[in-house]
Amino acid sequence: MNPANGGWLILLSLAAAMVLAILHVPESWPQWLGWLRPAWIALVVFFWVMELPHRLGLISAWVIGLAADVLLADPLGLNGVLLAGITYIAWRFYERLRMYSVVQQCGVVFLLVLGSELMRALVQDVAWSRGWSWGLVAPALMSMLVWPLVYLVLQRFRLQFRVE
Amino acid sequence: MLAGLALVSAILISLELTTRLLEPVRSVIATVVSPLRFIAQSPYRIGDEVGDVVATRQMLLERNELLERQVLELSNSSLQLLNLKQENQQLRELLGSQARVADKVLIAELVGVVPTVNTHQIIIDKGVNAGVRLGQAVIDSEGLFGQIVEVDQLTARVLLITDVSHAVPVQINRNGLRSIAAGTGRMDRLGLENVPISADIVQGDLVETSGLGGRFPQGYPVGYVDAMVVEPTASYAQVSVRPTALLDRSRHVLVVMEDSE
Repeated sequence: MNPANGGWLILLSLAAAMVLAILHVPESWPQWLGWLRPAWIALVVFFWVMELPHRLGLISAWVIGLAADVLLADPLGLNGVLLAGITYIAWRFYERLRMYSVVQQCGVVFLLVLGSELMRALVQDVAWSRGWSWGLVAPALMSMLVWPLVYLVLQRFRLQFRVE
Repeated sequence: MLAGLALVSAILISLELTTRLLEPVRSVIATVVSPLRFIAQSPYRIGDEVGDVVATRQMLLERNELLERQVLELSNSSLQLLNLKQENQQLRELLGSQARVADKVLIAELVGVVPTVNTHQIIIDKGVNAGVRLGQAVIDSEGLFGQIVEVDQLTARVLLITDVSHAVPVQINRNGLRSIAAGTGRMDRLGLENVPISADIVQGDLVETSGLGGRFPQGYPVGYVDAMVVEPTASYAQVSVRPTALLDRSRHVLVVMEDSE
């Protein structure tokens, strides 16, 4: 993930994803809207690993996770292992994933985000007895819905700046 | 490789949940990522600024009038306070107990909200540099707000009293009955724990911090009792308390700095 050869674009997109991930719902709006937040960081990491598996590895995904832990007030290491899991699957199957249609990719995104949200809820429940709710399906659904948009935008920038 | 990272994560998570070893690491990372927090909060800041600029004369006049009325009311009650303080001091001397020192406070502004829906935490714009320390109590103009759970150089994270993982030792102002007020995950409700069904609590009682446990200073209002429900088969009464602090509205909060002599 060195800044040369378009590494800055990867870093910039990750920073943007983190800002989107911590933007909060205005106080005057209904707070349940907060459940509808897609897993922006996971989507961006998934995109870069799928397109450029040699640029973003497990360790960098884990380090990105550390920053996410602090921003989202999760225990250190939690987002790291979740992102590393997503990275592993994207890296293992990137040739197949690129061949998939958008609808199939959306399905994969849904399953990956659902899995990581389940893991997160499990750890939070053990750590702080936060409890369970069906709300954890919402980020997976929303991530699935915004994936085509994320893909188009990032792919366009990637091709324009020839990041390889 | 993945298994190795999972193991490292598991060790980090369990270390963090049981010890305070990782706090310096967290605060270093928090300092690094704090620009992102400021960016995420900027739409609201810009909104506030624009609101100030485009405020009409009429709005400003109304606001000014409101503030003047508040100043009058407050200065009136502070006159009485001086009197009461002295009387209290004398009574304490008569009883031979120690005089209470006034707490010093630090004004902080809200610069972010932890976005996860099932947790109630905010970010304030004062950190180690301003003297904020872990565990300090945070209040707003109406009552107890929360406590500091993470500090970096420029910001700090506050766990609100309504978060499900938060609890604070309290007493009923009217009769001194002690209890624990635990967060319920809802912004408008706390629950008192282990209240016997015979306890003398009625709707409207003021609940304040008891100072037991040493983390929160004594005597700050926490909330008013909303309802006490006694189910015939239960061994404890269910008491719900409405927090006095404006947990979802306050833009400015006060960090209580304990005086170390």
